[in-house]
Amino acid sequence: MRHKNRLKSISVYVPIEKVEASLSEIGFLLVGSSTIVANGKFWNKMLYVNKDETISVSEELGDAYPKDPIITICGSKHTISSITKGVKN
Amino acid sequence: MPIYECNEHQFVENIRRMIDISEKFLINRKIDWHDDAKYGPSVLPDPEFQKYSILWFRKSLRSTVVAQVPFIDDFHKRMYDRGENLHASSNLKFPRVSIPYFRIEYSINLWGGTYLFAFDALFNPEILIEKRRGKILGKDGSLIHILKFNPPDENILNISLPKGVMVFDVRNMIKVIDYTSNF
Repeated sequence: MRHKNRLKSISVYVPIEKVEASLSEIGFLLVGSSTIVANGKFWNKMLYVNKDETISVSEELGDAYPKDPIITICGSKHTISSITKGVKN
Repeated sequence: MPIYECNEHQFVENIRRMIDISEKFLINRKIDWHDDAKYGPSVLPDPEFQKYSILWFRKSLRSTVVAQVPFIDDFHKRMYDRGENLHASSNLKFPRVSIPYFRIEYSINLWGGTYLFAFDALFNPEILIEKRRGKILGKDGSLIHILKFNPPDENILNISLPKGVMVFDVRNMIKVIDYTSNF
């Protein structure tokens, strides 16, 4: 049964590896990436897909520290809560 | 009418808040491509510069970039020789090689204000070795590195939104001055 997708954006100070681990754990696959420039900074924007749910993760490029990837989720309530818990634990 | 700039996180969260209160709204999207020398090789962060490392060399970020090998920039139809200066550290605003990009602007008009999220998406490099002919390369042709620029996939440029949120593509946003407050 398909659930209605919801929208959520999270900005957290966690390493990108932790975000990627959390996404692959619940079945999201990387389908593409691109370099973007926003707010005067370079970012690697990655797109993850699982059926009709999509998640984009933007991570700042370069030596910036600490890094705070922006995670934008268009997915089910379950997906949003899984990722929120996954990156905060 | 004030225009408020948002980052991705703020813009998406603002949309979510409007969905949560069932507020009716429309998102405008403007996408156009530019090749105005805004992004040259010297200012690229190291992970992006690495994509070009077969062709280009620099000591560090914002230092002068030179060609490591002769190559043809297929996008701009221009050939560069080994050792040629591609982006001087003393002239960062005017690179001799530039990376084309899409400018993407998302905006929402709400209660008299415009909320804007804008970003540039760089074209992706593709480096090949091909046989080309020409004045310098000879009639029979020679093998040479070719630099191509491919536009990023459209799905990467999109903000994923729930079904029912309407996005209109527009060519330009014309700013309207609201004089009614003067009366």
